[in-house]
Amino acid sequence: MIDFARVQKELVECGKDAEGSGIKVTPKSDNLVLLLGTIPGPIGTPYEGGVFKIDITLPDGYPFEPPKMQFSTKVWHPNISSQSGAICLDILKDQWSPALTLKTALLSVQALLSAPQPDDPQDAVVAQQYLKDYQTFVNTARYWTESFAKPTSLGIEDKVQKLVEMGFPEAQVRNILEAVGGDENLALERLL
Amino acid sequence: MSRRVLCKFFAHGACLKGEHCEYSHDWNDPPNLICTFYQKGVCAYGSRCRYDHVKVSRPQSSTASSSITEQRPLVSDDVVFGNTGITSNGIAAAPEFSPSRSPSFIPSIPAWNQEQQQYHEFVGDDDVSQSRITSPAEIPICSFAAAGNCPRGETCPHIHGDLCSTCGKHCLHPFRPEERAEHMKSCENKQKHLEALKRSQEIECSVCLERVLSKPTAAERKFGLLSECDHPFCISCIRNWRSSNPTLGMDVNSTLRACPICRKLSYFVIPSVIWYSTHEEKMEIVDSYKAKLKSIDCKHFDFGDGNCPFGTSCFYKHAYRDGRLEEVVLRHLGAADGDTVIAKDIRLSDFLASMHLQ
Repeated sequence: MIDFARVQKELVECGKDAEGSGIKVTPKSDNLVLLLGTIPGPIGTPYEGGVFKIDITLPDGYPFEPPKMQFSTKVWHPNISSQSGAICLDILKDQWSPALTLKTALLSVQALLSAPQPDDPQDAVVAQQYLKDYQTFVNTARYWTESFAKPTSLGIEDKVQKLVEMGFPEAQVRNILEAVGGDENLALERLL
Repeated sequence: MSRRVLCKFFAHGACLKGEHCEYSHDWNDPPNLICTFYQKGVCAYGSRCRYDHVKVSRPQSSTASSSITEQRPLVSDDVVFGNTGITSNGIAAAPEFSPSRSPSFIPSIPAWNQEQQQYHEFVGDDDVSQSRITSPAEIPICSFAAAGNCPRGETCPHIHGDLCSTCGKHCLHPFRPEERAEHMKSCENKQKHLEALKRSQEIECSVCLERVLSKPTAAERKFGLLSECDHPFCISCIRNWRSSNPTLGMDVNSTLRACPICRKLSYFVIPSVIWYSTHEEKMEIVDSYKAKLKSIDCKHFDFGDGNCPFGTSCFYKHAYRDGRLEEVVLRHLGAADGDTVIAKDIRLSDFLASMHLQ
């Protein structure tokens, strides 16, 4: 049975310090089983400036079992699946401790963003890129942050206008933007 | 009214009524320390009673015959205490007892005076055969002063005990050193325990994030002390964690038996109603817990019929039906060079360690 009294306390505690750490936890439903965590991208990394959303599901045994956490914002990182957002972090698995809270777990995830562990990858493609072509990795990670984790993403018309101003034909820009799901950076790569 | 009196069960961390209790669960409220036995007449503990021996504050009942209740207190004060005083060595001089007092008066005298009177009768008898009092240690001290306040003050005919610095009452008998020492020791222990309990109120469990001594049920209002570190948990949380199923690939020793905060491995948890502040206090709690378990028969050992998985390191008592304790069998091993070695505990890990070396 989930210790809801503790979850309540954790939410209050998190709310008090939201300004300082930038880490927020809000309930998605009334029953406090599904929560939404947000962490700011660490400064000095390709994730800087992004705000990442993490879906949290509390298991029945919480806090004696680790919370299930998954990125809902797409992230380019060796230890985070670029497809599903699954996180490879020991404290969310076998190194969990009931003295850890949602906030400390999110802080650990934030720390993972600034310190990737390519030797223990969750996403092999990203890990390969990180090891073999670090500069491309940084660029891709920054693109993904710009595209998916920016709180105020540009609207589709702004993107079209921006690309048209770069000298591409409008019809082609619209087609390609649609094909890549509205990602202006990916569209730019295609256009080039 | 009673809501503003501290619940004595709560003070010991054991009130089962919780918020439904008619007494106060607020540490700021004073506890009720009035001895009910004394109020009803006689308290068998006398001056050694831990509760206050004070007069009843109930209104004077009009049921008793008016002539006696109106006159009696005056008479008794004048007659009984009129000729008393404190002699130079501090011993109450016996009053001159008036034999004319008829027994029919006694029920009309309030309880506190009654005791006084009986005492005076006792002293009065002794006064007749003075030789029976051999030392001042045999005379009891004033119970009013011992309870905190004697209404007669300087004029009191009885010995006033010396002031106990811990409880602030004049309850130390000047001529009974053993009693003094005993009182001072128990008083200090009581005070220490209360202070420790008060300090413990603030301690939060790091797992449920609640104050351990404010949990809803009495069974939960206990700390679970870890043998190897000093992080506070409530007994239910730490036991829950240590007994949770290692399903997610958690290692029993490195994760479940480790402290959730510092991850230091502890082999056992000690339940305690108070939190400690020094290492000595912790050792005292641990030792008294172990001593208590040692007096309980191990159900696995079952008086020799069963088999205890903990063997000689079991905390419980391993005794046979006839009261004989289980003997630790020493194993003699012949070493390669011909010497005999006594092996005390043989653990599988010892062999594993030596295998590693080879």
